[in-house]
Amino acid sequence: MKKGMRETMVDVMIEEAQAGTNLVVLVSDSTSTSKIKPFQEQFGDKVVNVGIAEQNLVGAAAGMALGGMIPVTANAAPFLLGRSNEQVKNDICYSETNVKLVGLNPGFAYGSLGPTHHSIDDISIMRGFGAISIYAPQDPRETANILRHVLHSEGPVYIRLDSVSVEDLAATAVGFLPGKLTVHRKGEQLVMLALGTSVHNCISAAETLESEGLHVSVVGVSSIRPVDYEQLEQILSAHETVLTVEEHSVHGGLGSLVAELIAERQLGTRLKRSGIDEGTFAPASPADAIRARYRLDADGIVASAKELAGKVKV
Amino acid sequence: MENSHLLSPDSIKEKARIIRKKIIEMNSHAGEGHTGADLSETDILSVLYFHVLGVNAERTGDPDRDRFVLSKGHGAGGLYCTLSTAGFFDKSWLDTYLQADSHLPGHPVRQKTPGVEFNTGALGHGLPVAFGLALSAKKQNLTWKTYVLLGDGELAEGSNWEAAMAAAHYKLDNLIVIVDRNTLQLADRTETIMQLEPLSKKWEAFGFEVYYADGNDPEELLKVFQSLPADNGKPKLILARTIKGKGISFIEDKAAWHHRIPVGDEVYAAIKELE
Repeated sequence: MKKGMRETMVDVMIEEAQAGTNLVVLVSDSTSTSKIKPFQEQFGDKVVNVGIAEQNLVGAAAGMALGGMIPVTANAAPFLLGRSNEQVKNDICYSETNVKLVGLNPGFAYGSLGPTHHSIDDISIMRGFGAISIYAPQDPRETANILRHVLHSEGPVYIRLDSVSVEDLAATAVGFLPGKLTVHRKGEQLVMLALGTSVHNCISAAETLESEGLHVSVVGVSSIRPVDYEQLEQILSAHETVLTVEEHSVHGGLGSLVAELIAERQLGTRLKRSGIDEGTFAPASPADAIRARYRLDADGIVASAKELAGKVKV
Repeated sequence: MENSHLLSPDSIKEKARIIRKKIIEMNSHAGEGHTGADLSETDILSVLYFHVLGVNAERTGDPDRDRFVLSKGHGAGGLYCTLSTAGFFDKSWLDTYLQADSHLPGHPVRQKTPGVEFNTGALGHGLPVAFGLALSAKKQNLTWKTYVLLGDGELAEGSNWEAAMAAAHYKLDNLIVIVDRNTLQLADRTETIMQLEPLSKKWEAFGFEVYYADGNDPEELLKVFQSLPADNGKPKLILARTIKGKGISFIEDKAAWHHRIPVGDEVYAAIKELE
């Protein structure tokens, strides 16, 4: 059964508040964006709306953490990391405050609303800052597991929470362990590495490829920092070719992370990065159209995989 | 909790004199420092740490302590000399100011220095954080108060006004904001760079109760702090008129001393004025 990532987040917040976790949710007029209403109805005093004022959203979250609470911010990723970039850097990361930043609807989820509302640089930005953990859950179950984990461990966190409704994946049933990659399928001809919920399209693509005789591995990456580099190296070394898939710029995101490891450890794995081309914005178009253009939907991933496997001429 | 010193105004003045000497010695030893900014805030910090703030150097992590945020993080030197004088760490640390891996970096770092509550340095960050602190106390029904010291130049940062609006909206009468109004910033007079006046009207319009004090007179400052009403649903703003570089005649009221230190004979002359 498909479920929304944000609805899952709110369910966990309710469960945690009921259990006595001292959390407080900060929003910047983003009550509908965050789908927080069910939580607000039960725990109205645990929701702080600062208005459309993202710098104050993040600074206030840092202060509330210093005051002993566990703040979770919930607003659209582009505004969280764009407008309050320096607050995230200094007040959260450098000061190591116990704040959980949730960037909602990242990538080009806002589609036709355009690049003002897109966040194809959030992983890149966050990887530039020290001291903060970076997660991008793959499905509702992992969203819940990550949220429970971070609410019960000290330190700053950024969660890239995709907007889609998706089904739980069988491989996430083992639970969440920071750093670990999730192996969804094993094949020998190619490995696909996907950021967050992009793994669903990779799995669909892998099923199509399987029926055409092409056996590929699919690995989900939900923990960008920490990341288990040894596990990643093993996966990359076991394949001649890797295709990274992310609703993010190919600069600074998962594709970059993989490229760095291949280069530094001289793995020799051939790499193709699918994402938004370096130095460009995604267009103001429906998200599905953007996915199709940048080969981030299942059909596009199939086409890229076939090219890489030499099944069709590039 | 109560301040562990609770000194009289005269004793606070004496502490401020000692702190100023330390500032001159520390900055000239380090070879760098924001001397003008450090001296501007000395009396405000002295009143806070030796009477007003519910803090105790022996219990820096006490959850019931009042919280103080130095938003004008470039005044770190003044804060370090005050904390040292108030017993938060040994005065020998002052000799390490700005050195590699020192406990006393150029801007405050809470992971480094006992008594420092928050990492500042980039301007316009302290008030939103102080707003969050004060709100968290209200949410948890805790009685400690939040104090934040802002420079006047940094009031051009819009983030201050986001937080000011929110502090009034959430009726944070446990938030006390002090503006070190020395009318100078890095390059020139505040009013030349970006007009702040009418400053008190701006704060009033944002929902603050505004109080005035000579920010270089511990006795007057203390009276104002003690007169602040509790539980009236309004955040407080103390507009503290100060002189940048206060206490050393040739440093006073000169923009050039924002990020300058006394050298050579100036060190001797400055110390002499404080004897």
